[in-house]
Amino acid sequence: MTDTPSQVSSELPSRELSERLEQANRQLLQSEKMAAIGQLAAGVAHEINNPVGYVYSNLQSLGTYLTDLFRLTDAVDTAQSLEDLRQIRKSIDYDFLRGDLEDLLAESREGIERVKTIIAAMKDFSHTEEEEFRMADLHRGIETTLNVVNNELKYKAEVVKDFGNVPEIECIISQLNQVIMNLLVNAAHAIESTGTITIRTRTAEGQVLIEVEDTGKGIEAANLNRIFDPFFTTKPVGKGTGLGLSLSFNIVEKHHGEITATSTPGKGTCFRIRLPVQQPDIGIR
Amino acid sequence: MIRILLLDDEPNILTALKRLLREEDWLIDTFTRAEEALDALQAHRYGVIVSDYQMPGMDGVTYLQFARQRQPDAIRLILSAHGDRQSMINAINRAEIYRFLSKPWEDYEIQAAIRSAVDLYRVKVENRELLAEIHRQKDLLRLREEELMRLETENPGITRVARDADGSIIIDESA
Ligand SMILES: Nc1ncnc2c1ncn2[C@@H]1O[C@H](COP(=O)(O)OP(=O)(O)O)[C@@H](O)[C@H]1O
Ligand SMILES: [Mg+2]
Repeated sequence: MTDTPSQVSSELPSRELSERLEQANRQLLQSEKMAAIGQLAAGVAHEINNPVGYVYSNLQSLGTYLTDLFRLTDAVDTAQSLEDLRQIRKSIDYDFLRGDLEDLLAESREGIERVKTIIAAMKDFSHTEEEEFRMADLHRGIETTLNVVNNELKYKAEVVKDFGNVPEIECIISQLNQVIMNLLVNAAHAIESTGTITIRTRTAEGQVLIEVEDTGKGIEAANLNRIFDPFFTTKPVGKGTGLGLSLSFNIVEKHHGEITATSTPGKGTCFRIRLPVQQPDIGIR
Repeated sequence: MIRILLLDDEPNILTALKRLLREEDWLIDTFTRAEEALDALQAHRYGVIVSDYQMPGMDGVTYLQFARQRQPDAIRLILSAHGDRQSMINAINRAEIYRFLSKPWEDYEIQAAIRSAVDLYRVKVENRELLAEIHRQKDLLRLREEELMRLETENPGITRVARDADGSIIIDESA
């Protein structure tokens, strides 16, 4: 009997083959990322429209407040007496304006900060050119990812962050962020009405552990060994591509780590990622 | 005084709305949780209810559906950060809302929308009161007619009272 795959591979030098595979993988990764970002865009728009909504409205209120205040300051030149000025001051509800102006500015600043955070997270997140392994803070990566997917999660689940004492690890953080995002979005999809998503980090035996656990509908035993297969999905067209976990698997593998899932149907699912602190081939480069 | 209910899970949205409604002569109650805004429907009568669309727990459309059952006269509006068609269709079909407003907004749009909602509420309540008045009067009329009929059957001719030019009653013994 002939072994077809090995015949094919023997026709091409194995280095070229693996380069091609690498290339195809990169493209897949990129398109999955774009699809995921597309899905998220609507959520992010919602997330931004809220702060922009109140900041924009506050600016309009600020306009009317200033018109009132200028009535008072302009009257300094024209008023006949101090009593006139007092009268105007009373009519514009000066004490209220003074107090509320501070709140208005503080709230607006808070809104702009939020927009800034979301934009920064989106930027961090879509760093496609970054291909280098470097030391990075996982917790920061998780926070960034949470900022991007917040809108997908917050109406479904309470997100519990159970962060342990974890060192910086050598990784491509933008890719790990994408893994975390896939796990979080899947967890949210698995929760039918409301539930909890726990993100746990630990250090164990010189390795770093990341767990994403949900109280969703779980995965049937028959499907559990298929979820990492490309294009395996139980979601309707438009909602699932079946690529999230297979790409996550590839990314973790590239990091010389391991990703596994345990699940109890009806109870929930826990994804566990194990990553080395240092990449083994560091000495070579 | 007209009472307005504002519901949004974002407190800063609520303060911004209160600012732009400051000059109006309405009582304004704000809530960040739908459950509390539901309880409020038990405590007060509202003229206008403005709700966010997407909130943790109960969403705005579901909330307004409850509100419609509890206070059918109150005019319902949605203020949503989702501009998509589907959420608008849901809101219109399921909660029978009067206006669908989007975030970010122009203050004058919100002011105008709530003002005309208040007008509509007033007209609705007035209509209902007028209708109730008509029913009351009809009932009264019916009662009177029944009483007359009863008298007539007991004492035929008694309801046909003839009066003199000076208003005194003429008793016709021949009938
Ligand atoms: N947390 C989870 N709970 C339940 N099922 C899950 C979870 N994560 C993944 N799955 C299952 O694995 C399948 C594949 O996931 P994924 O590769 O991310 O693709 P997609 O999410 O596009 O379907 C999902 O369709 C779902 O059936
Ligand atoms: Mg997925």
